[in-house]
Amino acid sequence: MIFGDKKTGVIVTGATGNQGAFHIALMNEYAKSVGGRGVVAGVTPGKAGQEVHGVPVYNSIRDALKEHDASASVLFVPAFAAGDSIMESASAGLSLVVAITEHIPVHDTMKAISYAKMNDCCVIGPNCPGLLSPGEVKLGIMPAQLFTRGHIGVISRSGTLTYEIVDELTRAGLGQSTVVGIGGDPVIGQTFTDVLTRFSEDRETKAVVIIGEVGGALEEEGAKSAEIPIVAYIAGISAPPEKRMGHAGAIIEGGEGDARSKIERLKAMGVPVAQRPSEVPRLIHNLI
Amino acid sequence: MKILEYEAKKVLEESGIRIPGGVLIRSPDELAAHLPALPDKLVLKAQVDVGGRGKAGGVLMADKATAVKTAQDLFSREIKHIPVKEVLVEERLDITHEYYLSIAVDRSTQHALILFADAGGVEIEKAAKEDPDAIRRASLPLIMHDVPQFMVRDLLGKAPKELGPLINRLYHVFQKKDALLAEINPLVTTPGGVVAADAKLIVDDNALNRQGITVNRDLSDREREAERFGFSYVELEGTIGVIGNGAGLTMATLDLIEYYGGRAANFLDVGGGAEQERVMNAVRLVASVPSVKAIVVNLLGGITRCDEVAKGIISADVAQPVIVRLAGTNETEGRKLLSDKGYQMPDTMEQVVKAAVEMTR
Repeated sequence: MIFGDKKTGVIVTGATGNQGAFHIALMNEYAKSVGGRGVVAGVTPGKAGQEVHGVPVYNSIRDALKEHDASASVLFVPAFAAGDSIMESASAGLSLVVAITEHIPVHDTMKAISYAKMNDCCVIGPNCPGLLSPGEVKLGIMPAQLFTRGHIGVISRSGTLTYEIVDELTRAGLGQSTVVGIGGDPVIGQTFTDVLTRFSEDRETKAVVIIGEVGGALEEEGAKSAEIPIVAYIAGISAPPEKRMGHAGAIIEGGEGDARSKIERLKAMGVPVAQRPSEVPRLIHNLI
Repeated sequence: MKILEYEAKKVLEESGIRIPGGVLIRSPDELAAHLPALPDKLVLKAQVDVGGRGKAGGVLMADKATAVKTAQDLFSREIKHIPVKEVLVEERLDITHEYYLSIAVDRSTQHALILFADAGGVEIEKAAKEDPDAIRRASLPLIMHDVPQFMVRDLLGKAPKELGPLINRLYHVFQKKDALLAEINPLVTTPGGVVAADAKLIVDDNALNRQGITVNRDLSDREREAERFGFSYVELEGTIGVIGNGAGLTMATLDLIEYYGGRAANFLDVGGGAEQERVMNAVRLVASVPSVKAIVVNLLGGITRCDEVAKGIISADVAQPVIVRLAGTNETEGRKLLSDKGYQMPDTMEQVVKAAVEMTR
């Protein structure tokens, strides 16, 4: 597994909101089932002293860290305050921020990621479902019932499409080491390249599925650097140019980033590309 | 959202970048009133959001005597199917050289990417493919207030130093306006100084609010209606309506329709936690498109409650057949509600798509 394990202590920011509270409960249910530490504290400015599903809430991450040992935060704060919350996590010394929030202005994200890097803090997302290492740790909102432990890594720009493909893998007897949703925004902290580097150093991971979509060239950049066997699925072959397909980052701009040319470039690098999500398990079997 | 040329130029001017003298007109008659104050040689530019505007006939030359007639001609045109409603009438510049300058969000470095080229006025993507060395680049973390001087020197190369301050000014526009792209193409030198002859500005949709922009003009009416419901919606030209949750899964559903030989009528991502009313609105919205002959609903997720989805589909009560793939919480209840009403409910997304394609063939 990469990014975290059972021993990872987690702080949830935006803890008292609907989403934050709901997912504190689900993350801790998962932690309990695998014997992990889970969410140890919540943070919402001005709400110190409250509890969310038994988890104490503090005004700031620094306050929470005075009472609890934690290394990661999962962020549910509203878009306008999310960049700020990423920087607060980095400044307080956390090594990992998982930013679930969608619709963060991209300039805020760019500044927050720069600041986090200066503080040796790694950002996953924004606009992502987080990550899950079956049997170890869940940081985010992925539905745990579809996952099973094994040796396949998954990196994806999407949420539900990831669950679809994880479900296909699980049904085919291919368990997962870690599944990482890197986010659907144009600018994201951890790219395919970054996560592939971690997977190639992870003894539990034998092959990786990268799930990409239209927009940018992060898939190709990742594939070029990969030192571990990979297969790919790219969504959006039917997407028209200059239209945002749900994700802020899913847009073919200036004739760049369309699915067909992405797929061709990946194939030219020798990467097997699935035409349909259901083909992914067969391509993995061919590989290992 | 794309900002029109005349609006973008106003923004540049406020930041100290010189723009050509000119006026915006909404009819040929308006031009007549402005004529006395305008120079003899003019250029008329249709204010429409399309690439390759010049080639499509959206930019016309004129002099004072022919200007009104030329304006009448331009207002009667459609530029790539968009009617001309506004025309920018500008002085024709005495150009000594054209350059290219842009600043964009770079996904790979997560920084601002500044591009400068000695040959402006051309399609930069093409120029980049033909001669990558003709374009110089610099990557700048957005936490920097100004473009460092060494970067300006590197970008300019042998180009005149008087262009230097423009790079920093455009960077400030980029920062202040939450821009995804700020572009001056061409940036021209004239005997009177450096002028932004054209301008392009794209503002981050997620920052429209704090930029004081209330209506996203890039969306069609139906897309805007969908946005009010909280859906991501894109109109396409096929016969199969599509509703999914999550952008990736919905795109993959569209792709599968194409794979099996059908054509999708739309992309609709209903979002997370789809309750009865949301689903009902989504189904009705998709069904309201006349070309839609069948509707595919593909919902998968941890938090989506299938019984709510089922109630939403049933209460939408639309004329077209709705084929449903449901997986998530309360799946059994949801399936029972739908099967009692006679809905088709295959198990996988492939089966749902195949059924819809066959139905519309």
